[in-house]
Amino acid sequence: MSLSRRNFVIATTVAAAGSTLLSACSSGNAGGGNGTPNAGATEYTGAKVTVGSKADSTGPAPEIPGAKKGGTIYGIAPDDFSHLDPQRIYFAYNSTVALLLHRSLTGYKIDSSGKQKLVGDLATDTGTASNGNKTWTFTLKDGLKWEDGSELTVDDVRHGFERAWAPFITEGATYAQAALTGKGGKWRDAYPGPYGGKHLDSIVTDKAKKTITFNLAEPKPDFNFTVAMHSYAAVPVKLDTKEKYDKQPVACGPYKIKAHTTDKSMVLVRNKYWDPATDSIRNAYPDGFEFDFGVETLAGTDRLIADQGNDQYAVSIYKGVPAERIQKVLTDPQLKKRSFNGLLTGSYYYWINTKRVTDLKVRQALIHAWPLQQIRQIYGGPSAGDFATSILSPDIIGYEKYDLYGKLTKPQGDPDKAKALLKEAGKEGMKIVYAFPQDPTYLKTKVVIENALKAAGFTPIIKPVDSTSYYDQIQQINNSFDVMWGGWSPDWPTAFTMIQPLFDGGAIGNGQNNVSQTNISWINDAIKKNAVISDQQEAGKAWAALDKRIMQEVAPIIPETFQRRFYLFGSKVGGAQFDPNFSATLLYKTFVKA
Amino acid sequence: MSTPFLSVRDLRVHFSTEDGVVKAVDGLSFDLEKGKTLGIVGESGSGKSVTNMAILGLHDRRNTALDGEILLDGKELITATERELEELRGNTMSMIFQDALASLSPYHTIGAQIGETYRKHTGASKKEARERAVEMLRRVGIPQPDIRVDDYPHQFSGGMRQRAMIAMALVCDPELLIADEPTTALDVTVQAQIMDLLKDLQQEFGTAIIFITHDLGVIADIADDVLVMYGGRCVERGTKKEVLRTPQHPYTLGLLSSMPSLDGPVDVPLSPIPGSPPSLLNPPSGCRFHPRCAFAEKVAGGLCSTERPTLEIVDGRGSACHLTPEQKREIFDGFTAARTH
Amino acid sequence: MPPRLLTPYGIRQENPTAMFRFLVRRTLGAAVIMLIISALVFVLFYAAPRDPARIACGKVCTPETLALVRKNLGIADPLPVQYWEWLKGLFVGREYTSFGHCPAPCLGYSFQNREPVLSTILDRFPTTISLAIGSSVVFLIFGIGTGMLAAVKQGKTLDKVASSASLIASSMQIYVVGIFATYLLVDQLHLLDRANYTPFTEDPAKWAAGLLVPWLVLSLIFTANYTRMTRSQMVETLSEDYVRTARAKGLSRRTVFFRFAWRGAMGPIVTIFGLDLGTLLGGAIITESTFSLQGLGLLSVKAVSTNDLPMLLGVVLVAAAAIVVFNIIVDSVYALIDPRVRLA
Repeated sequence: MSLSRRNFVIATTVAAAGSTLLSACSSGNAGGGNGTPNAGATEYTGAKVTVGSKADSTGPAPEIPGAKKGGTIYGIAPDDFSHLDPQRIYFAYNSTVALLLHRSLTGYKIDSSGKQKLVGDLATDTGTASNGNKTWTFTLKDGLKWEDGSELTVDDVRHGFERAWAPFITEGATYAQAALTGKGGKWRDAYPGPYGGKHLDSIVTDKAKKTITFNLAEPKPDFNFTVAMHSYAAVPVKLDTKEKYDKQPVACGPYKIKAHTTDKSMVLVRNKYWDPATDSIRNAYPDGFEFDFGVETLAGTDRLIADQGNDQYAVSIYKGVPAERIQKVLTDPQLKKRSFNGLLTGSYYYWINTKRVTDLKVRQALIHAWPLQQIRQIYGGPSAGDFATSILSPDIIGYEKYDLYGKLTKPQGDPDKAKALLKEAGKEGMKIVYAFPQDPTYLKTKVVIENALKAAGFTPIIKPVDSTSYYDQIQQINNSFDVMWGGWSPDWPTAFTMIQPLFDGGAIGNGQNNVSQTNISWINDAIKKNAVISDQQEAGKAWAALDKRIMQEVAPIIPETFQRRFYLFGSKVGGAQFDPNFSATLLYKTFVKA
Repeated sequence: MSTPFLSVRDLRVHFSTEDGVVKAVDGLSFDLEKGKTLGIVGESGSGKSVTNMAILGLHDRRNTALDGEILLDGKELITATERELEELRGNTMSMIFQDALASLSPYHTIGAQIGETYRKHTGASKKEARERAVEMLRRVGIPQPDIRVDDYPHQFSGGMRQRAMIAMALVCDPELLIADEPTTALDVTVQAQIMDLLKDLQQEFGTAIIFITHDLGVIADIADDVLVMYGGRCVERGTKKEVLRTPQHPYTLGLLSSMPSLDGPVDVPLSPIPGSPPSLLNPPSGCRFHPRCAFAEKVAGGLCSTERPTLEIVDGRGSACHLTPEQKREIFDGFTAARTH
Repeated sequence: MPPRLLTPYGIRQENPTAMFRFLVRRTLGAAVIMLIISALVFVLFYAAPRDPARIACGKVCTPETLALVRKNLGIADPLPVQYWEWLKGLFVGREYTSFGHCPAPCLGYSFQNREPVLSTILDRFPTTISLAIGSSVVFLIFGIGTGMLAAVKQGKTLDKVASSASLIASSMQIYVVGIFATYLLVDQLHLLDRANYTPFTEDPAKWAAGLLVPWLVLSLIFTANYTRMTRSQMVETLSEDYVRTARAKGLSRRTVFFRFAWRGAMGPIVTIFGLDLGTLLGGAIITESTFSLQGLGLLSVKAVSTNDLPMLLGVVLVAAAAIVVFNIIVDSVYALIDPRVRLA
């Protein structure tokens, strides 16, 4: 998903501390990157996402050594989850609770080192594609039940897709709707929604065989990644309360909601109809969770540092340690032991408006000039993340590291090189309008950027933009900005989700995400071609090559950082680890220590 | 004459300020008998009010030094304890202040304020105190006192407030009443009514009254004896008639010249005293009036600026001035003649 | 003031009607003020370059979806119509397609969490009230007490210590003191409970224990103001003529201090307290976010950051009403303390 909508919402809502603009939904594992922060600050596994087998999809989830059942894990967070109705879930922090309540056809099985596999969750495996990746069939596992004991059927799974057409559902993902109707953004016109008694023609269910078949209008070799999204989780047809479902959803995951006071607290208890044998992903050791909302990030961090009373059993649900406390956590061995960290999904860029900065040499000069090191210093130094040099982030299937512009050797910027390129282009002293959201952090980074631009022979013009409408403004195709700060986070770990929305000529438009307004036929063609490669490892290689070629021949962005977050947990919490998909604590793996 | 009811001997009231010691009253003596009225006149800052605050013991003890003797009915007040003074205040001796609006609590009813004094000194009940307050208000001429007793000061007119103030001062039948310019803020009709009231009350109770004013007309109306103060000292004393008719001090003369005489010819010009009152921080040497005195050069040897003139009192009459009796006669007789005919 | 000898009945007799007129006038004035405030919030909200509909519009936000969101949120109509609908809801209630009937006084539903605004505010208000009332009790007792003590001991060491301590305390920031106090008293010394809110009706002891730290921190800062104010008011009142009169009546220093001077000093303090209490009830934004207490202040901050117009309007209205009500109460109390004040 774009950092745009999601992150601006999170950033502004949860704007308690420091550089809160974070990516929302991440996939893959921490890894790659250069300049490992000070010793021991991070761990790299270097593992890629893989697609798991049927055996991988069969429950129960592998036991965690030393873990035992029982007790309560407490979660603290500044804000309540904004949605519980799975079809309305898109923001990463909502997915942290959705993982405990809802299940989709597929899901990510994450091991203790952060490696993950796409496996069947409700489905027995990751699905079967045929008809040139246009037909996808999934078979449901046995023993799937809703929290009231009724059986979870293929119709319930279909209902989870069809509900996307309900007029009150506007927040969720739209990939499947577009693929199922072939009408692109006009998918709503193709089907009136499930409440009129009609079903989508393009989904076929067979209750006896427990199969559900999707007939897509276009080939989608990574459709089994798409259906892992919570926007496509199952909803029981008989128990659907429409608008009210958002307040009281019906669980099929290991926990159900016992009590919920909006914006204040939530109590989850075991869903006794959840059978661990059906679930290869979730461990579910605690008997329940108690969430406490409205705890500001700094106060919450201080509570975890103090480690008193119930806070010994507490985790921060989705907020990382704020800048004010990061040094304390890194330097106190006791605290460091009670923390984990990981890279956020996606990466941060500076988009170059290719409509305005038309000369490739100038764009390359900008990349050379950019002061990555000074910028990261403002974010908090090496522990704040790794320098980015590519479009793709390390957790994307096929990601390959390269350093075309020597940014890892000269992260402070290379003004001489930039000057030389600028001279070649005959654009010395060129005016560059730099836009950024008006926020304490970016007001600091703009200073080092301005200096670097001057040093490289540009004439910088600095344009702060209201942070709450920042993305709306830079997503106007006739904007007057040359370089724009921004970030992008993919919805699942295939490169299509990063390169297509950002560089496909078809994705240029007001409110669309091709902010650099790149429209080049060989890129458009390559996107079409790569998008239909069935083997995701194979596809990954093709995408990585495209990534490098775009950066070499077009240079439409300046990659900035893959950002890192640290998370604290109480001394009596076991199994706490980073959720690479949603940049949060992986709740279903936590347990209460004896 | 036996011991007077109130006897003040060589009273000195000195304030210590950041700039130095202010000698507000510097050696003042006088006596007052029961049923008599002593008028004290003088300009602002001459020490009139300070003297009376000292008698009541209401000076600020943190920065005021009191010296001399104040005997009230034989009791020494300067060395009395606060508790002893509290017993006397409002009871044996009480005071009427100049600005009744500011001097009455805006937060309490008239009745409560009068009754409070009564209760404090007699231990009366609330009900008795209220009845007493109504009675006092009636006596000072407040109409419908049983209703007005529950009014607040701001609901009274200026004259009525002053009457209420008097009622409050007299509620315990004091033997000494100090009235500090009680009529200054009032118009002439009301002023006359208040004066009559005071006189009536004095006749009824035999109260000794100290009446402070800068208005010689008021003195002429009410006082038996007059004491003229200047710069913290007494410059002239005598009966009302003596002082007003045959002044013996140039300052008194100046005061008289600066006010019109009701029974004198209208064509005599008024002549205010030139200059301003003396600083009490650095008072003039010798006679404190000498910088403003029109006759200082008539005294031989510049005595006025070097030596303090003594106040010789003979039969309650005297003045502190270096002029010889002959010079005085010459100067003051002329004045008296001009005033009377 | 003209002589009133002929009208012996004081305004005490007029008071019931005066009071009634006063209340009617003030209530009408308050209604007009709140109408203006709500209209202003409405206009300013839409003047900002941000669209509340975008929040509920997914990543691929097509114009169709955006229109749908607007309809769902009830913001598809032109601004004046929206305002009129909102106003009408206050008096006659409102019908929502997705939520059903919202009875009067209807403040609508939150854009953000789709809860009824009124019940959310009613849920948060007790926290803010507890915070305000509790700390008021503490800072009034300590502030006025210290101020009076300083006034009595005017110029002496105690006065100097109290005066300078209050000057230092009043320059402190709530969030700094708050975080430090929590660290020291809660995390390190384990003396007090971490700030949390338990309804009074549920457990008064827990209610007080959970709010003690914020009360103390808030009080520390307010106490200082009240100390200085009380001191200077007392000193001023003690030099009033009527205080001297009281002494001349034979009343002791102590009686004069507590019966006369105290009352004179209270007037200005009550006025300031009314303003402070209004502010405290309007939502102590910083206090509530420092201690993570879910009151009106935090609610308003979140409403602003999430473009939640109905919630914002609701909080602003309730805060304004609280301030107005407390001003009326203060004026009434002032009139009780000082009979010279007419209610007008």
